[in-house]
Amino acid sequence: MVFHPRERGSRRPRVVGIPRREFIRLSMMGAATAGLGPALLAACGGDDDDAAAGGVQLSRPDNPVTLPTFDDVEAIADDLPVESGTLKVFNYQEYISPDVLAAFEDEFGVTVEVTTFISMDEAIAKLSSGDTQFDVYFPTADVIGKVAAGKLLQPLNKSYLPNITNVWESLQDPFYDKGGVYSVPYTLFSTGIGYRVDAVVKTPDMFDNPYDIFWDPSNSGQVYLLEDDREVFGMAMLRRGQTEVNTEDAELVEAALADVSELNDLVSVKLGAEAYTVLPEKRTWVHQAWSGDVVNAQYYLPEGETIDNIGFWYPADGGGMIGSDTIAVMRGAERPVLAHTFINYLLDATHSIENYSWLGYQPPQTGFDPDLAVADEYVPAHLASAIIRPQDFERGHQLLQLSLPGEKIWDDAWSKFIAGA
Amino acid sequence: MLAAPGVVWLVLLFLVPFYAILAVAFGDLDPIFGNAVPVWSPFGWDFTLFTEIVERVFGGELGQVFIRTFVYVGLALTISFLIGYPVAYFVSRHAGRRRGLLLGLLLAPFWINYLMRMLAWVNLLQEDGYVNDAIAMFGVDRGSWLDGRSFTVIMGLVYGYVPFLILPLFAALDRIDQRVLEASRDLGMGPARTFWRVTLPMSRQGILAAGVITALPMTGDYYTADLLSGSPRTSMVGNQIEFYLFEGSQKNAGASLVLVLSVFLMVAMAYYMWSTDRTTRELR
Repeated sequence: MVFHPRERGSRRPRVVGIPRREFIRLSMMGAATAGLGPALLAACGGDDDDAAAGGVQLSRPDNPVTLPTFDDVEAIADDLPVESGTLKVFNYQEYISPDVLAAFEDEFGVTVEVTTFISMDEAIAKLSSGDTQFDVYFPTADVIGKVAAGKLLQPLNKSYLPNITNVWESLQDPFYDKGGVYSVPYTLFSTGIGYRVDAVVKTPDMFDNPYDIFWDPSNSGQVYLLEDDREVFGMAMLRRGQTEVNTEDAELVEAALADVSELNDLVSVKLGAEAYTVLPEKRTWVHQAWSGDVVNAQYYLPEGETIDNIGFWYPADGGGMIGSDTIAVMRGAERPVLAHTFINYLLDATHSIENYSWLGYQPPQTGFDPDLAVADEYVPAHLASAIIRPQDFERGHQLLQLSLPGEKIWDDAWSKFIAGA
Repeated sequence: MLAAPGVVWLVLLFLVPFYAILAVAFGDLDPIFGNAVPVWSPFGWDFTLFTEIVERVFGGELGQVFIRTFVYVGLALTISFLIGYPVAYFVSRHAGRRRGLLLGLLLAPFWINYLMRMLAWVNLLQEDGYVNDAIAMFGVDRGSWLDGRSFTVIMGLVYGYVPFLILPLFAALDRIDQRVLEASRDLGMGPARTFWRVTLPMSRQGILAAGVITALPMTGDYYTADLLSGSPRTSMVGNQIEFYLFEGSQKNAGASLVLVLSVFLMVAMAYYMWSTDRTTRELR
């Protein structure tokens, strides 16, 4: 299972205090920025040998997958009228701007009803039970393969999605869903190291291997890792120079487990997913963290604290962990045309950036100018490494779906780690 | 016919759910979504994963988690009795007309959600929190209570579950006939000997009931360790079950752990029931 920044969402307050209007205005000034990267992933070749049980293809950057389509699950026809009524959306908690939803409702004279889930596992369990029915669903990239193979989604009709051209070219044709048959990209995030500049003896850059900061005894009692097997063992693998973070080789996973287990005695490591509060409150000095959480930390600073005390390290060469989310239309959606219209609305440059200004997680929009986000002080200059650029997806490592036997290897290793033995 | 309500209760609230756990633990996984697929027929049960889990409990790292859990629960239960018994005794014997008010006050904090109370403790126990402010007034160094200490988790369990212990104890102590205690004193026993020779033995069933009622939820607790520590070194069985059921891909491993834990708890329940039955027979 791949953990997602929005999981544990019940404990996450909404991002507040973002200077939306000014940010939108300045960001849109950069809308002319074009050519933000080649179709890097789309060009990758590969074979279809890697299949999970049940026939789900395991997509990888070097093994792009065209997801299967089915005779009994067809895309809608062209030029259909937009339905009226209530659009049913299934999404993470607080993962879409209420202002954007309200604007969509006003423009199209419809109602949007958002039902939330806490984890992708929970979402899939509900959807696969067949007891629920939604029009739009926000899956993570790693589960697209199985929800498509399980016939939970319907193919998209791109004639209703002209705004797809606003998206980074590389993600218009992603390796996990070649041709974007079932999904369009929604948001991006990277995983790096959040740290307290005013507390650590050595910042990550001062180590020969920056990941060693987690193993530095001078940070004993002050080290947090994300509460997720894939993120933690993946980090340990990158520390060893092992970049195949989706390996199903038990020995490699055991080696990562052995490394991470050292942290129990070495620094009394703790697990959590709240870097956006524990770092500004100085409840920890070093925290494996998602980019969006470190950027959002500036809105949770206690009185007298400044964001200058918080640093974020992500590999300068872009070779860290990275991820993306998507939007899809459910099979059997009652309002499929309205669902497409809604997705197209979210892909609009203005709306997507307005959504970002509330959400804090970056959309892969060509109109989004990362440098302007810094200039506007939305992202403090010293945290610019938290901004994701198209080339990061070329060099970064995505946590992707494993086969069921592969997941068992990772799960059992994690069980051993959290046993504290 | 008179036993019908009890039988219905047992079937609906215990046997059916327990059989469902068996069907999941020995069942299969959906090959696409990884969801648990219960196998209802015992002839189709697969014990491979359950056996693996049992081996990890008896000889693997899961054994350490079980031992840690039982030690935490044992210590938390002992501390709870040291706090709860005097409180229950005072309310039942000396509160007079104010016993209702006192019981209400004892329960008042527990109108607030358990999770919220634990989150409040996270704030209180921080390095710059009120707990450290209070002990610093007596010249004691500030402590790092939230850095993964067993002590903090155990005290969290005590705080979270002590009312479950006080109420059955109060009920048991309140039922002791005042005339028995007066007879003890008339026969020359002082207050201390009356307590040890009369009150304590007569509240034995209440102590057992309170112990069982408190120990069962404590043993399955996972949020206390999660919130007040977060360290793998203080994790409990509940944390392992939570991981396998909610985050991991092997729901049947989670169900297998539930089964193993249930067997341990059933032993405690069996002792309680045997003891209750024996006491009832003695009274006849």
